[in-house]
Amino acid sequence: MNQVSTTRIAAVAAGLMVAGGTAQGDSHGITIGYAGGFTGYLAPYDQPSLNGVQLALDQINAAGGIMGMTVELIVKDTRSDTAQASVVAQELVDDGVVAMIVSCDVDPAVASGVMAQVAEIPSASSCASTPTLPAAVGPYMFSNYTADNLQGAVLAEYARGQGYENAYILLSRDTPYTEKLPEYFGEAFEAMGGTVVAVGEYTMGQQDFSAEVTNIGGLDPSPDVIQTSAYEPDFPAFIKQLRAAGIDTPVLGSDGIDSPTTFSLGDVAEGVVFSNAGFASPGSALEAFEMAFEEKYGTPNDTVFTATGYDLMMVIAAAIEAAGSTDGPAIRDAWDNLENVQVATGSITYKDQNRVPVRVVALNQVSGGERVHVGDFSPDPSMIPAP
Amino acid sequence: MNNGPEHLLDVAGLEVRYGAIEAIRGAGLEVCKGEIVALLGANGAGKSSFLNAIMGLVPLTSGRVLLDGEDIAGEAPEAIVRRGMTLCPEGRRVFANLTVRENLAIGGATRRRAGDAATILTGMLDRFPVLAERHDQMAGTLSGGEQQMLAIARAMMSAPRIVLLDEPSLGLAPRIVDTIFEMIAALQHHGATILLVEQNVDLALDIADRGYVLASGRVALAGPASELLASGDVERAYMGRD
Amino acid sequence: MEILIQQFVNALSLGGTYALLALGLAMVFSVLGLINFAHGDLMTLTGYAMFFAIGAGLGMPLAVVLGIACATLAAVAMERVAFRPVRDANTATMLLTSLAVSTILHMLFQNLISARPRAIPVPSWMIGAVDVGGLAIGVIQLMSITATALLLIALSIFLRRSTLGIAMRAAALDFPVTRLMGINANAVVATAFGLSGLLAGVAGVLWLAQRGSVDPLMGFLPVLKAFIAVVLGGLGSLAGAVVGGFVLAFIEVFLRAFLPDGWLPFRESITLTLVIVLLLVRPEGLIGQRENVR
Ligand SMILES: Nc1ncnc2c1ncn2[C@@H]1O[C@H](COP(=O)(O)OP(=O)(O)OP(=O)(O)O)[C@@H](O)[C@H]1O
Ligand SMILES: [Mg+2]
Repeated sequence: MNQVSTTRIAAVAAGLMVAGGTAQGDSHGITIGYAGGFTGYLAPYDQPSLNGVQLALDQINAAGGIMGMTVELIVKDTRSDTAQASVVAQELVDDGVVAMIVSCDVDPAVASGVMAQVAEIPSASSCASTPTLPAAVGPYMFSNYTADNLQGAVLAEYARGQGYENAYILLSRDTPYTEKLPEYFGEAFEAMGGTVVAVGEYTMGQQDFSAEVTNIGGLDPSPDVIQTSAYEPDFPAFIKQLRAAGIDTPVLGSDGIDSPTTFSLGDVAEGVVFSNAGFASPGSALEAFEMAFEEKYGTPNDTVFTATGYDLMMVIAAAIEAAGSTDGPAIRDAWDNLENVQVATGSITYKDQNRVPVRVVALNQVSGGERVHVGDFSPDPSMIPAP
Repeated sequence: MNNGPEHLLDVAGLEVRYGAIEAIRGAGLEVCKGEIVALLGANGAGKSSFLNAIMGLVPLTSGRVLLDGEDIAGEAPEAIVRRGMTLCPEGRRVFANLTVRENLAIGGATRRRAGDAATILTGMLDRFPVLAERHDQMAGTLSGGEQQMLAIARAMMSAPRIVLLDEPSLGLAPRIVDTIFEMIAALQHHGATILLVEQNVDLALDIADRGYVLASGRVALAGPASELLASGDVERAYMGRD
Repeated sequence: MEILIQQFVNALSLGGTYALLALGLAMVFSVLGLINFAHGDLMTLTGYAMFFAIGAGLGMPLAVVLGIACATLAAVAMERVAFRPVRDANTATMLLTSLAVSTILHMLFQNLISARPRAIPVPSWMIGAVDVGGLAIGVIQLMSITATALLLIALSIFLRRSTLGIAMRAAALDFPVTRLMGINANAVVATAFGLSGLLAGVAGVLWLAQRGSVDPLMGFLPVLKAFIAVVLGGLGSLAGAVVGGFVLAFIEVFLRAFLPDGWLPFRESITLTLVIVLLLVRPEGLIGQRENVR
């Protein structure tokens, strides 16, 4: 065990605990439920989220639990199936969980969230980024992850700041994320005086972008910037074929491409700028998180979803502490009023945000196969497109 | 058992079922080297089942199948072919999308040495000259009679010690049937041993040495071909007396 | 005009990959009557083999060879372990077996390797384009077209000239009678699986060169496309599978290239509608022949 990093992380965790009461001798534990897609198509997101949640839980329990009670996590697999997501959520409700973490994708998140809503148990999706998700379910549903409109606005602001006038956006209507984020980008980009010259569409997994690339090459005026929220395997395929066709227009991506693949693409990905939930600069909480993660799991962290899973568990702990109770409505109200909760990726505020948190958006650039920090951004709220 | 020449094929107590249906209920027969033996019977009597079972194409419930004294019951069809018994199946079943040449080539697949296969092929093309003319034609485009000749030639390509022919007259015009039967008789003259399944009683018994009549999965009648032909019992046996 | 030729090359390259996959699927279908849903997972295996080979510092050429070999051996092993015991069972049982194999592989990949994608760095020379008569053709596209052409030629020589090749075509038409020719059923089936694995391996390398990463579920979409191609070409027809692959790619690429903007969201439905229309006109598939139905 690496003492240094454990201590450092414990300090972060302890920061959340000070407000809470001290240990209460014998008490039955607090149970939190996680209805996630640990197998099937959501596994790439929910598995890492779970790893982050468990790391947070270890730290919370090591620091004395919440209000002196140990916290227990009940994990149930939805198999990435929406029907199963509601079945499993109901089981968790019956198990007496006081808060629930639900899947990364909107449809299963809604399916589970509705069950929690009916039982008046607060829930949050680990990494769904659709800003309309909480409203779609009701007052007990929260977002956690950086919302699409927030990322779109930050990317647009950056693009305009670079002097780009004409943008091409490439979207896929297969998921809200791949469809809406580029649309939010386009909306913000035009609101800031730019022009979207064309919109391309792809099907997730299509691999072959030759038709779209040939079309981009023939655009007049040719775009100054290309924005897409495509991720693996679509993004690597797209950018390779784009560059192979000799088109060197700058490309802006979003957090979906925050993956080792992007950094192993070599020349084609050079200069790509993308948004994500945080940058692990030296001395940051995120760096401490990365170290603790590697220590617990024996492999370096390779995605931000672990950190945001960690963040969510910390937010839940903070909400219960603030409520001073394990009563659903009390936790919900406390959660809705959380401000500046210090988490691995920075800080999170829920107060006055309609359950879609304000959190920092980092911009990163791919440079020589490494990640370079462009900066952290919090756009002017008036510039964030309405969901 | 001990009378006459050695039995090349000796089947006894054969039983075949398809689920609840008992297709063969303890039938048997013998074929001696160089003979043509006719296996007759009405539709559904179980003739094809009998052949398919001894070839290993359908599982047999019980029974003994001796090929030249060795028990081959339950072996895989390809193994039985390699032992020297082959079947020219009912309905010809030539490989329609393969050329005549390819059909014959694959028929000779068991002849390890290319020279062997070539010699046999020359012999077959002599005997079935129409196949030589249609060498590169798709088998599916041949006429019914030509397809039957191809099917027989294909079976003979493995130079079998005994060949089972399942209804070679099926669906063919009488004139063509006559030609086919002449060819079968000619095969015997060249040393082939044949178990011939037929519905065409007169023609079959005409070229056969001996005959068996199958009814409801049992042997209802057996004897030398000439006696069966003369007696008129065959028609009665055909009706089945279960 | 130039754009038209460019899109033509695009479709040819994509069609090659579809054709290789569809051909492998059709090969197994033709001898066993089985649509092997685990076929796409062979591509995934190629990907992981390449990932580990590159990780072990073996270099790209060796990784490619290992990747293809791995898919080929895995296909043969899959047949031996999973499909041979149910060979004589009905179609539904075999189909379920293939789904089970696929699911088990997904689980193993997700739990033993990672649910997250693993990067496969592609050498930079592969990402360039070459100028062919004023046309920019990507190196990967060129490789894809060349590999497909060579493989299809080699395979057609094998299928026409060798006894085993003829036996495989015969088995596709009538399996029991092929056995009556003294052809070993196990050898034919194992060869069909081995070849399907080889084809999936090559298609996998081409696919991976485009996408740059391998993940547990990567094989699903390609096997779906290959399935459409096989049905389009005519179930059971090998030539049909190849033609089906190319036709599907041409429909896809040309719709994506030339549909007006407002129509783009419907391109997938239009593709499938066109496929269905083609099948209504020719229910036996583009190349499928009556004889196959028998
Ligand atoms: N695969 C099968 N499944 C079930 N029943 C079968 C099968 N094959 C044959 N049968 C049945 O077994 C019995 C014998 O059939 P078989 O085909 O052996 O008769 P056959 O004497 O060859 O008739 P035909 O002269 O019409 O060819 C029939 O009642 C038939 O319906
Ligand atoms: Mg019959």
